[in-house]
Amino acid sequence: MATLSSPHCPSSSYCYSSSSSSSESRYGHPRLVKISSISKRLAQKTLSRHAQKNPNSNVVRMQGGSMATKTIPIEGDSTPLKTPKDGLFSATSWQESSDLSGFNVRKDESTVSITVVGASGDLAKKKIFPALFALYYEDFLPKHFTIYGYARSKMTDEELRNMVSKTLTCRIDKRENCGEKMEEFLKRCFYHSGQYDSLKNFAELGKKLCQHEAGRIANRLFYLSIPPNIFIDAVRCASSSASSTSGWTRVIVEKPFGRDSESSAALTRGLKQYLKEEQIFRIDHYLGKELVENLSVLRFSNLIFEPLWSRQYIRNVQLIFSEDFGTEGRGGYFDHYGIIRDIMQNHLLQILALFAMETPISLDAEDIRNEKVKVLRSMRPLKLSDVIIGQYKSHTRGGVTYPGYTDDKTVPKDSLTPTFAAAALFIDNARWDGVPFLMKAGKALHTRRAEIRVQFRHVPGNLYNRNFGTDLDQATNELVIRVQPDEAIYLKINNKVPGLGMRLDRSNLNLHYAARYSKEIPDAYERLLLDAIEGERRLFIRSDELDAAWALFTPLLKELEKKKVHPEYYPYGSRGPIGAHYLAARYNVRWGDLGLDQ
Amino acid sequence: MAKDGFDVDVPEGPVVTKDAEPEVGHQFFYFSEPTEEETTLSITVVGASGDLARKKIFPALFALFYEGYLPENFTVFGYARTKMNDEELQNMISQTLTCRIDKRENCDDKMKEFLQRCFYHSGQYNSENDFAELDLKLREKEGGRVPNRLFYLSIPPNIFVDVVRCASRRASSEKGWTRVIVEKPFGRDSESSRELTRSLKQYLAEDQIFRIDHYLGKELVENLSVLRFSNLVFEPLWSRNYIQNVQFIFSEDIGTEGRGGYFDHYGIIRDIMQNHLLQILALFAMETPVSLDAEDIRNEKVKVLRSVRPFQLEDIVVGQYKGHSKGGKSYPGYTDDPTVPKNSLTPTFAAAALFIDNARWDGVPFLMKTGKALYTKRAEIRVQFRHVPGNLFRGNIGYDLDRTTNELVIRVQPDEAIFLKINNKVPGLGMRLDRSDLNLLYKARYPIEIPDAYERLLLDAIEGERRLFIRSDELDAAWALFTPLLKELEENKIAPELYPYGSRGPVGAHYLAAKHGVRWGDLIDEYL
Repeated sequence: MATLSSPHCPSSSYCYSSSSSSSESRYGHPRLVKISSISKRLAQKTLSRHAQKNPNSNVVRMQGGSMATKTIPIEGDSTPLKTPKDGLFSATSWQESSDLSGFNVRKDESTVSITVVGASGDLAKKKIFPALFALYYEDFLPKHFTIYGYARSKMTDEELRNMVSKTLTCRIDKRENCGEKMEEFLKRCFYHSGQYDSLKNFAELGKKLCQHEAGRIANRLFYLSIPPNIFIDAVRCASSSASSTSGWTRVIVEKPFGRDSESSAALTRGLKQYLKEEQIFRIDHYLGKELVENLSVLRFSNLIFEPLWSRQYIRNVQLIFSEDFGTEGRGGYFDHYGIIRDIMQNHLLQILALFAMETPISLDAEDIRNEKVKVLRSMRPLKLSDVIIGQYKSHTRGGVTYPGYTDDKTVPKDSLTPTFAAAALFIDNARWDGVPFLMKAGKALHTRRAEIRVQFRHVPGNLYNRNFGTDLDQATNELVIRVQPDEAIYLKINNKVPGLGMRLDRSNLNLHYAARYSKEIPDAYERLLLDAIEGERRLFIRSDELDAAWALFTPLLKELEKKKVHPEYYPYGSRGPIGAHYLAARYNVRWGDLGLDQ
Repeated sequence: MAKDGFDVDVPEGPVVTKDAEPEVGHQFFYFSEPTEEETTLSITVVGASGDLARKKIFPALFALFYEGYLPENFTVFGYARTKMNDEELQNMISQTLTCRIDKRENCDDKMKEFLQRCFYHSGQYNSENDFAELDLKLREKEGGRVPNRLFYLSIPPNIFVDVVRCASRRASSEKGWTRVIVEKPFGRDSESSRELTRSLKQYLAEDQIFRIDHYLGKELVENLSVLRFSNLVFEPLWSRNYIQNVQFIFSEDIGTEGRGGYFDHYGIIRDIMQNHLLQILALFAMETPVSLDAEDIRNEKVKVLRSVRPFQLEDIVVGQYKGHSKGGKSYPGYTDDPTVPKNSLTPTFAAAALFIDNARWDGVPFLMKTGKALYTKRAEIRVQFRHVPGNLFRGNIGYDLDRTTNELVIRVQPDEAIFLKINNKVPGLGMRLDRSDLNLLYKARYPIEIPDAYERLLLDAIEGERRLFIRSDELDAAWALFTPLLKELEENKIAPELYPYGSRGPVGAHYLAAKHGVRWGDLIDEYL
């Protein structure tokens, strides 16, 4: 008992030896076993966004299955523990003490330690820390949490906080207390410097984490914001020297997940040496976008879309992603992968799977991912003839010269890496047989946009054909889900132009998010981090999904590279290669984003 | 050829049709066959000194002229018992003419030109002599061209037949067409309506009678068929498989305001429900017509009307508004109107549930609701869809599934709009759903002024387009549906449920809806 309530961690990286139920009798509290196991289940179950309502007095902490009936024994301790605790109480007591302090709720406390591996990198600075702060600010993080930065650079806690503080912002719609909140948040951020492949360094980290966890049930989340070639090293070290023994340990990894089926399988194999499938959270940040999340809501909670969602009514589906800038001097990583691997094989394919899947049994992660895998596995492998690739070249406009892709110093002069690709995909199942799913992704195009376009068929025997003229394509309905910028959903319908006479035109039934929802829409990373903390796997990619995605694209990618297929050049800032139109035309499709009404 | 004024030098040209741009009309005559005979149009507004004529018909005619929709040669005649000269009529009319907000140029010139073509003839409604005099004047203006004559009967129904007799015997066109526009009421029940039709047909052929239902001329009612038949996305939805119920709602925020004499004789069911709402219902529910031709559309409408199950008394709720004081102001009850009998049982509000017993609509309640002196002025169609079977998001929605069904709303007035209520994720972390609208607000999308229903209907009558007019058999079917109910209400002296002026109407309407598992959509969306 004394060891357990001590604030000092044992010398091993483990805070506490993993104990079975026998440990209770060992510590002479057999009476409490039952209560303890119940509360443990409760604690897990209620670790959800609204469940941080532990009372701040008479806390019973669970330590490897045993119970301590004392209050938190850290007073007067010299470790930095006191700081987060203080911050914590001030942050929550005004809310919670009023309704809960009257009760003697005895529950085990848990804590989350989030370690950002590669803390000095760009992604960490620009996305991960701000997302964590936003979660904290909105009260979505558990009461007890610690954030650790881990990287090779030498830095003190203070320096990390300085670095982090520069990128934190408050939501526009909620500014009050923001400064205070930032300070509180930064107090919970720490730094540990170490090598990515050093067991010893990770063990030191583990020790520090232990101190902060102070005997609570420790849940640990590692965010690998590092190059893929050191994924496995970091995972090995983290899992053997710094994983939690009392709570869960989860690892978030981001693309690239390999370059093809083989390297992806090797990566998965490598990860699984140290982690179980449910510990791996493969992030695809597109799945965290508001309107991608909303896609399932639209489909499955609106009866009006139900009959439409099949080959019977849908003529084609378009998934469009474009950026209005090039690699801008950072093409080194990109050149190794290319746009197909960077955008298509993951983001667009994931959205396609969500769009096209059958109704899952429930909204549980496994049910949804089962359906997604089924879609991916029903897809026809891509043929070279169904793909158009492009690469942007320099372009001068209004006196400004925009560099071509190979002008980027980090890109080889003779690079054939596509910066644009368009592809036609087919799902050979009963629902989608024959419906072209067109994808288009590119850099340095005329606009920045991500959207899903669903073009419906012609009205059979249209009474109003005469009023449309000969171009019936202009008269079909279209549902557009614009993911960015300016989130919106609109349905193009034919409508009578008001006035005498009968002229028809297309109008939109629309929902513009900015007008309807005044709230700021959270960043994808916030959602995904929160989900990882809560163990919600719906938006993360399972190994078999990843395999299926690679199986679809690997033969094509190999062929492109083996045959050294030259990309079609397109000027920086243009609409992309003309070839994309011919590809679409072959399947009787018109790109909706390049139509008249745009 | 009697040459008279401005139209002497007007060159020969075909009637400008709806499809041709107005400017094209001028170029047209150079290419037209010299042998083609010139036509001219004479529009006689019978009852020219009345309210409807002044407020609606003359302004609509001017708007048509202003937009270049009237043929080159036309004359407008006012006919009434009042003694007036042309000048006085022109003065009277000029007070109600307005130019479209979005097209003001030349408006004064155009007004002057228009007024120069307006004339007046005073006469009795049942005097063949007086109509013969009118005929002489018309001939003079027509100047030997092929005359087409349109009579607009803006008079009380009891003199319809007299006027039609006189006009057809003494003032109808010999070489061109003669058409007569009549407006409701078309009788009070099946018998009187049939009697009226029989009498009219003594003097007119069916294709000469244009029964106006001005609701059919509303922009969004016209658009209803476009929405349905030119958008694939609505096609699979339009049946009992997906639609849970349909609501037709028409409310006025004023009472009879001292003019209840006519109304009291008819009541809200005859005044609004049996015609306007039932017509919209028929358009909504009909099968796809063979073509957009008037006969094809009206054939389908009749089929719907004939498939409607006869009304039961328990499928209807009637109400009457009573006086109400609000904010120190007192609003009179219906029977406070001096033109209304103190013991009147005439309904000023009615809600009804109808069923169409055909394959498409079996079991789907069509609810109608209409009333005077309610809290808002509104006309709309609401289509409520069924629940999502096996809804995955049930847990996020809570258990009031009625709040989460999709709804298509076509708002005819005020502020024309179409919106589709969908369930959407509230942006943010977590998974909360709410209903948002996919919407099309006409004001925002179409900056032009929407023409008045009368413009459209007059133009259609001039062009012989009968799509928006009601055929005799349609009228019969509509009366067949309502007559037994109306008789029962009157014979049993069913007392209306009283509701305060400016309220949401009798509570009974909710119970009627509840009986059929429906909630009134207009009272859910208070934010509108």
